[in-house]
Amino acid sequence: MDKHNPINSEPGILNLNHAQVFVYMLLAVVTILFLFLTNAYVFRMNFEDWQPLPVPSLLWVNTCSLVVASIGMGWATRGAKKNNQTNLKIGLLIGGFFALFFLTGQFWAWQQLIAYGYLLADNPANTFFYLITAMHGLHISGGVVAWIVITKKSWKTDSVESHSAQVSLLATYWHYLLLIWVMMFGLFLST
Amino acid sequence: MEQNAAYEGQQVYHPKGWWGHYVFSQDHKIIALQYTCVALAIGLTGMFLSMMMRMQLGFPGLFDSIDAGSYYQDVTMHGMIMVIYLLTALFLGGFGNYLIPLMLGSRDMAFPFVNMLSFWVYFLSVIILSASFFVPSGPTGAGWTLYPPQSILEGTPGGDGAGILLMLISLAVFIIAFTMGGLNYITTVLQSRARGMKMMRMPLIIWCIFLATFLGLLAFPALFVGAIMLTFDRVLETSFFMPEIFKGGEVLDYGGGSPVLFQHLFWFFGHPEVYIIALPAFGIISELISCHARKNIFGYNMMVWALVAIAGISFIVWAHHMYVAGMNPYLGFFFATTTLIIAVPTAIKVYNWVLTLWHANIKMTVPMLYCLAFLITFLIGGLTGLFLGNVSVDVPLSDTYFVVGHFHMVMAVSPVLALYGGLYHWFPSVTGRMLDDRLGKIHFWITFVGTYLIYFPMHYIGFLGVPRRYYSNQQYDFIPDSVADLNQFITICALIVGASQFILLYNFVNSAIRGKKASKNPWGACTLEWQTLESPPGHGNWGDQLPVVYRWPYDYGLPGATADFVPQNVPDEQIT
Repeated sequence: MDKHNPINSEPGILNLNHAQVFVYMLLAVVTILFLFLTNAYVFRMNFEDWQPLPVPSLLWVNTCSLVVASIGMGWATRGAKKNNQTNLKIGLLIGGFFALFFLTGQFWAWQQLIAYGYLLADNPANTFFYLITAMHGLHISGGVVAWIVITKKSWKTDSVESHSAQVSLLATYWHYLLLIWVMMFGLFLST
Repeated sequence: MEQNAAYEGQQVYHPKGWWGHYVFSQDHKIIALQYTCVALAIGLTGMFLSMMMRMQLGFPGLFDSIDAGSYYQDVTMHGMIMVIYLLTALFLGGFGNYLIPLMLGSRDMAFPFVNMLSFWVYFLSVIILSASFFVPSGPTGAGWTLYPPQSILEGTPGGDGAGILLMLISLAVFIIAFTMGGLNYITTVLQSRARGMKMMRMPLIIWCIFLATFLGLLAFPALFVGAIMLTFDRVLETSFFMPEIFKGGEVLDYGGGSPVLFQHLFWFFGHPEVYIIALPAFGIISELISCHARKNIFGYNMMVWALVAIAGISFIVWAHHMYVAGMNPYLGFFFATTTLIIAVPTAIKVYNWVLTLWHANIKMTVPMLYCLAFLITFLIGGLTGLFLGNVSVDVPLSDTYFVVGHFHMVMAVSPVLALYGGLYHWFPSVTGRMLDDRLGKIHFWITFVGTYLIYFPMHYIGFLGVPRRYYSNQQYDFIPDSVADLNQFITICALIVGASQFILLYNFVNSAIRGKKASKNPWGACTLEWQTLESPPGHGNWGDQLPVVYRWPYDYGLPGATADFVPQNVPDEQIT
């Protein structure tokens, strides 16, 4: 019996389990989504009315918090793999807390921009900034929902093995959204 | 025993109560039925809207209720409903859900709960779309392409009200539903195949649905981004797509945006969408033609690679919809070339279907009639596509009825013929009863001949230069009077074809209740969905033991075998 693919016997692709295929495909769709946003951004920035907006320095702090969140999730995954409950729980808490910190920070950055008069509809550069950060934030929020479910499960059961694969996938999602954020942040900084 | 032990690991969802069985069901077969019923219901609405359009074109001014505004609303909603909410949903949500687990020898989709969620989110998108019929200024009348700036401006029906907003929100919700369903289809195909069901032993329809889902997952985000950005432009007065606009001497708040950017996003989705609809139709035809001609499909490997090629190339042809939007001639040349190249793998498929029929034992069943009708119709629609793929021919023909005739032949009539063929073929598997053959043939001939009488004349009208989308053709000197006569003729044919669809509906309902009981495998098909223990297949599909696959899905007329077909789950030593 193929342990990765208990449902049917024909081996799955690349020895992945169902959830891995689902999440990797989802990440492919997310990539395409941000690729189109980037495409539209680059297309639109060549028009005369484009006025780049100053990137709030708070975004550096937010980026760091997302990095810490990602490290936390990595720690949780290692904990789950080594059947270490404490590391798993601490890692999950760090991952979730700093992701929420990131979301709050992004919202705060919006408030700063609004306070400085960079309103959403004033310039396409502003609109893209709000749109892209909102889309990314929504994806993080979706991850937070999954994080709540998995964290609750971790607290309820003593056996780590049952959801170690889920923790690992959640961590993959965290790392990937960090990567996307770094690319989007790079786009804002370079234009 | 070892095999049973292996299958014990499978968790199958067990429904509780009536609601769990029939409403919030996680069983792929029920979800497929739900998708089919909702898609057919909204499709009937779409058909009704087309009748309204035809009444105006054939008998201008006969109905006071059809004014220019409502005509454009009918055009828009007809297009969007038919392409997205009927065909995409029915082919992937209906056929995909029903056939993927059954044909692959699985008990259900990989994620049944997400599958159920996918249907309900789709249903929500249909509700949101339908709600736009009831808001004060009605649904949007911007044309199904929703091109800004006009789609979100006052003056366009629904542009200043909630109509366009509901359309954009509904599309975004539909895409979320599709993504949930699509990820499920991909995972199931890659992961949940029965032992022995190698990728190159999968029935072609599964390949088609698999690749169409890939196309959808990669193309729909473009529409999603476009819809969100257009919503921003409409609600928050941003200027992604909106240029400077003067209205009554006053400057509107918009400025600097690019309407062409929306066109690129729309058609980057829009062209693969044609194949999202066409590929499942190809798949149905491949299954039906082989089974009802009692002959193995010609060139299985070539068919698969042709599909892969079509899917790949379909991402680099989108701008052939935008030749008249103004583009660099070299870019036009590039897109014309890729457009013509995509005809090669498509032609391979048509040749293979024809060669499958060559010297075959063709049974003139209703599904086979639909197959033959599809082949001819798709060929004609494809050939007129070669005209329009060329920039120099497309420019004069663009926005004429030639285009309407072309795309209805290739992506409306052809897929619908395949769809009907598929419904007739798999109806016994779903209900355990046969559809009435006589009614089926009457319905087929009216639909087949009728659609030709509708769409063939449109090509001629298009050559005369009659523009599409016009509410009235009466006040233009260059349009001869004969066009009005032809339009009347088309309208009468459309009414007859429209009414004949109720024969199908009656046949469905009547046969499901009183139809002749079907045997377990009435068509003598090799694929697994006909090899279940019970017919119709029960919950979990396969009883205690999953099937094991020993052969490809088209072993018809196998030398040495007594029966003229050998099912996929029969090993060599059991062939008699």
